[in-house]
Amino acid sequence: MRKIQSMISTASPDFRTYDAHNRRILTEFREKQEAARHSRQQRDLDRLEKQGKMRPRERIEMLLDPGTPFLELSSLAANMAYDGGSPSASSIVGIGVVSGREVMIRADDPTIKGGAWYPLTIKKIVRALDIAIENRLPVIHLCDSAGGFLQLQSDLFPDKFMGGRIFRNQSILSKMGVKQLALVFGHCTAGGAYIPGLSDYNVIVRGTGAVFLGGPPLVKAATGEEVSVEELGGADMHTSVSGSCDYPASSEAEAIHIGREIVAQWERPKKWDCQRETPEDPAYDPDELYGIIPDDIKKHFDMREVIARMVDGSRFHEYQPNYGTTLICGFAHIWGYKVGILANNGVLFNDSSLKGAHFMELCNQNNTPLVFLQNITGYMIGREYERRGITKDGAKMIMAQSCSHVPKFTVMCNGSFGAGNYGMCGRAFDGRFMFCWPNHQIGVMGGDQAANTLAEVKINQMKRNGGVVDEAEVQKLWEETRSAYQEQLSAYYSTSQLWDDGIIDPVDTRNALGVSISASLNAPLGDPGYGVFRF
Amino acid sequence: MGVAGWGAGRLAERGHTMSDPLFNKVLVANRGEIACRIMRTLTDMGISTVAIHHAAESKARHVQMADKAVEICGETPVAAHLDMGQIIEIARNLEVDAIHPGYGFLSENANFAAAVAEAGMTFIGPDAETIALMGDKISARNFAEKHNVAVAPSVMPTDDLDDFIEKAAGIGYPLLIKAAAGGGGKGMSIVREAGALVEAARVASSEAQRYFGDGRVYAETYVDHPRHIEVQVLGDGKGGAIHLFERECSVQRRFQKIIEEAPAANLSAELRDEICTSATRLAAAANYKNAGTVEYILGADGRFFFLEMNTRLQVEHPVTEMITGIDLVRAQIEIAAGKELPLPQSEVRTSGHAIECRICAENPEQDFMPETGVVRHLGVPEAEWLRFENALTHGQKITADFDPMLAKLVAHGPDRDAAIERSIAALGELALLGVKTNIDYLARLINHDAFRTAELHTGFIAQHRDDLAPEALNETERAQILAAAFLGFRQTRDLIVGTPEPHAAIGGWRN
Amino acid sequence: MGFQLILDGEEHDVAIVRRRPHLVLRIDGIQHEFSEIGGPGDGLHALKCGKHPIDFIRASDNERQIIRLGGRTFEVGLTDPFSEGMESGGNMDAVRSPMPGTVVSIQCKEGDTVVRGTPLVTIESMKLQTVLSAMREGTVAEILRAEGETFEKDAIIVMLEPETEKA
Repeated sequence: MRKIQSMISTASPDFRTYDAHNRRILTEFREKQEAARHSRQQRDLDRLEKQGKMRPRERIEMLLDPGTPFLELSSLAANMAYDGGSPSASSIVGIGVVSGREVMIRADDPTIKGGAWYPLTIKKIVRALDIAIENRLPVIHLCDSAGGFLQLQSDLFPDKFMGGRIFRNQSILSKMGVKQLALVFGHCTAGGAYIPGLSDYNVIVRGTGAVFLGGPPLVKAATGEEVSVEELGGADMHTSVSGSCDYPASSEAEAIHIGREIVAQWERPKKWDCQRETPEDPAYDPDELYGIIPDDIKKHFDMREVIARMVDGSRFHEYQPNYGTTLICGFAHIWGYKVGILANNGVLFNDSSLKGAHFMELCNQNNTPLVFLQNITGYMIGREYERRGITKDGAKMIMAQSCSHVPKFTVMCNGSFGAGNYGMCGRAFDGRFMFCWPNHQIGVMGGDQAANTLAEVKINQMKRNGGVVDEAEVQKLWEETRSAYQEQLSAYYSTSQLWDDGIIDPVDTRNALGVSISASLNAPLGDPGYGVFRF
Repeated sequence: MGVAGWGAGRLAERGHTMSDPLFNKVLVANRGEIACRIMRTLTDMGISTVAIHHAAESKARHVQMADKAVEICGETPVAAHLDMGQIIEIARNLEVDAIHPGYGFLSENANFAAAVAEAGMTFIGPDAETIALMGDKISARNFAEKHNVAVAPSVMPTDDLDDFIEKAAGIGYPLLIKAAAGGGGKGMSIVREAGALVEAARVASSEAQRYFGDGRVYAETYVDHPRHIEVQVLGDGKGGAIHLFERECSVQRRFQKIIEEAPAANLSAELRDEICTSATRLAAAANYKNAGTVEYILGADGRFFFLEMNTRLQVEHPVTEMITGIDLVRAQIEIAAGKELPLPQSEVRTSGHAIECRICAENPEQDFMPETGVVRHLGVPEAEWLRFENALTHGQKITADFDPMLAKLVAHGPDRDAAIERSIAALGELALLGVKTNIDYLARLINHDAFRTAELHTGFIAQHRDDLAPEALNETERAQILAAAFLGFRQTRDLIVGTPEPHAAIGGWRN
Repeated sequence: MGFQLILDGEEHDVAIVRRRPHLVLRIDGIQHEFSEIGGPGDGLHALKCGKHPIDFIRASDNERQIIRLGGRTFEVGLTDPFSEGMESGGNMDAVRSPMPGTVVSIQCKEGDTVVRGTPLVTIESMKLQTVLSAMREGTVAEILRAEGETFEKDAIIVMLEPETEKA
């Protein structure tokens, strides 16, 4: 494979401008992330300390093998919801290594409202378990939650992908033979009790851990019975009487120690045989990504420069380099894993769509995982392109992409608009992982385009109704539309809604993909085959 | 390389071949390294071997080496090895021709020697009378004195202080006065000149009276910085005796030798000759039959005195074998079989220098207290100039049942300096893991300037105690040791090598 | 996550910092890089600390590693912060019968000092004799059943003096 020859001059004014711009964006991202992770009410932290509990992130750090990565997912979930009342959606989710085994770790966060589950908490947990199912990743639950956030019960309880889905997913995981371990540090009340209940193994901490369907107040209200937490669902009761819990622990540290020993008993996964080389650092410094992504979403940049800062040795075997040039296709290695990369380098035309579809078929034929690097404004529109069948060519690409049986990974690098999002493996297309850069925007169309479109519609309407166009009203509509779009287009908005698996620093993309690809290999490849391609 | 290399050549010329063994079957009434050492020569000589062992040592090396092994019973393993009747019974049943007692256990037991003879077998050692003569301190001393072998002058305890002072003055100075009933240094003093004798005797006597209620005092020549010199002799039992030169065994702890060498350093030719000749004289006078050792104490002033005679093979016999090329066990067997001495005195030559280190299961940092454990790893350096006398096996339990001596490391060199360097190198390479040993301590000791310059005396270890303590580890060394251990524990090693890729390569990254 | 190793009676902290391209351990706060880590198990191995190869011999003995390095032998232990195991911490004053049965014999008396594992009482149940032992160090406070007496499952047979705060 040939090394990509970068055309970037790090001394150029553009590079410096972009670099400063993107580092500002990154700083903002890191500040939001830092706050979501650590900014808490003092009284919540004091209460935790008084109970002798560790903070959830301390628990995770103690659980992980030292000197191994932890890929945290959706660290800014719910950052624009509930007036910021549920940072990280009151939950920590990520992939790490425990006792030498790759696992999904999911932790409640008792430093926010006693660890109560908000609707987006549930969405985040369900997504974590979906990832576990899709990638056959064992799950470790670090339980410490007051239960559902009752003020919002209608948004978290009844529907298909709400609370019950957690337990449905746990059951399915178990049926698939994927191990689950629950470490009960705090209360697991009501539905939460089923988390240890549906885990293959669980450990409960004496004094602070408790598992019950109804806590003492509920019991009192329902039957008048007065019972202490320990008696009702404490460690000794559950490990010696009910058998609902397996191992008692005298401290959180001991619970984690026992948990690590349990995981050490699990068989090491047999992954499918993805082609792998010895990893090599990229030849170009990934830090230069900040100077490559322009300061305006409208400015074009060459995605090869991004690929060069992400793949092993910056080597890239480009497929059909002269055909359908707005979609770059080719082979590379990420942390040694052979992948097929599809990267937008402009709007999708007929030829680029056909090339993409063909390239995905090649990758499926060779069991090569797919990596989509999105920077897409959509498929080309207009009479000429419709006559050439842009719709059916785009459909071919969507068909090839949807039916791919190799694992798919999507990184939203700059913009993702319209049907381009579909062709490039948007959220709806069951990619195994989807990451987003902090500068990225996503929507059915850009803010300007939406405002222009709506203004156009309004003007036509006014003309039809009376012929007089109220310029001020049109201007107002335009601005409102654009402003609303801008907010909803931002990466923070989409990650808040869990439309992705988290915003990542562009420089971290290589590691995030490395961990993700490795995780994906635990699940066997799906059945090959496609639907009907419209020719 | 085995002991056969040493002396076998010279003795082989004398015509003993496999087809004409001196004995058909010999029982070795011992265990451990010395049993193995003896059996090696027996096998070389075409003699069939019988081992005895307690149930606790049924898998020991000497048992595996022997042509036949018989279990002996006893309340303790040591008691079993001391059970004469049982051992003779076994020997008789197996139609053994001779019994070799090794050292320790029954080797200097006159009754055993007599019983063996009575049972119609050959005891490979002197006759019972000689053992009894030399086994008793007083009779041995008197015998030596009678045959003009210097003994340390002394004055027996008496109540008559004036008579005592007069006799004591006749011994010469320095002089050690002690309470007859005493101990612990009470009533003890060293008198260095005539003028101080009277007062010292009075003080000693009154102190003795006060502490022990017995005012009698005893005096003997005081030897400053005494060295322990011993002479290897061979006697044919008919008045013929030769010596194989001396060994120095001054480095001792808990009154036991831990380093022996041959020849003794810093010994003038005249003095060496005088000491060795006196030993031969003693052996000849006693009609001594077997290999034996005459032990002396040698003062800094060149005076030497008879201590005792050991009527058996010594632990440290290999150093003599290495410098003379004579296989002492073979010589013992030949003499026992009625053969003549292997060579006349005029043909005894020495070459180079040999040092023996006794490897013991003990903790030098805690007053050499014995240690127990299990042999988890044994790594022995090999060289033509090196003998490692041992009976160690992997997994062997080191218990308090027997002597803590595990093995002997014997190095030969063209001169003393070379032997020292080789000993240090060999000790450094020797690995005996699973029980605390004195290996590292011995290496430090031999490397000490005072050892290198042969400023030896029996108080060497006490004198240099501080110098001989292990050096504190520096940070780098400590880190290496901790890392080596960290990589050895299953739990921590798994954590290092059990990490999947690419996670191990990505390392402690957080996003 | 760090570990405590004991060398010459002193505790030392060892933590894994990274594994690639070379193992880095933080030992007592200082990072050391090992470009070779030697094979597993007992025997002769080589470490490479920085650029310096170091030969050493290692033997495992129970909970210790014995290391011979640079002509000296050392013993290193690994502390286990949870050596008391999972049974620790709970109410361990009461010795209960795991099944219904009869007391066959009593091997202790009130006031006896016991250690973990000291046999206290032999019971018989379903033709099977079982020895109930002390699960911790302590003093026998009370023996609640006499020889020949029967009892139900989970009955308390012996009580130990309540544990006082460890010094």
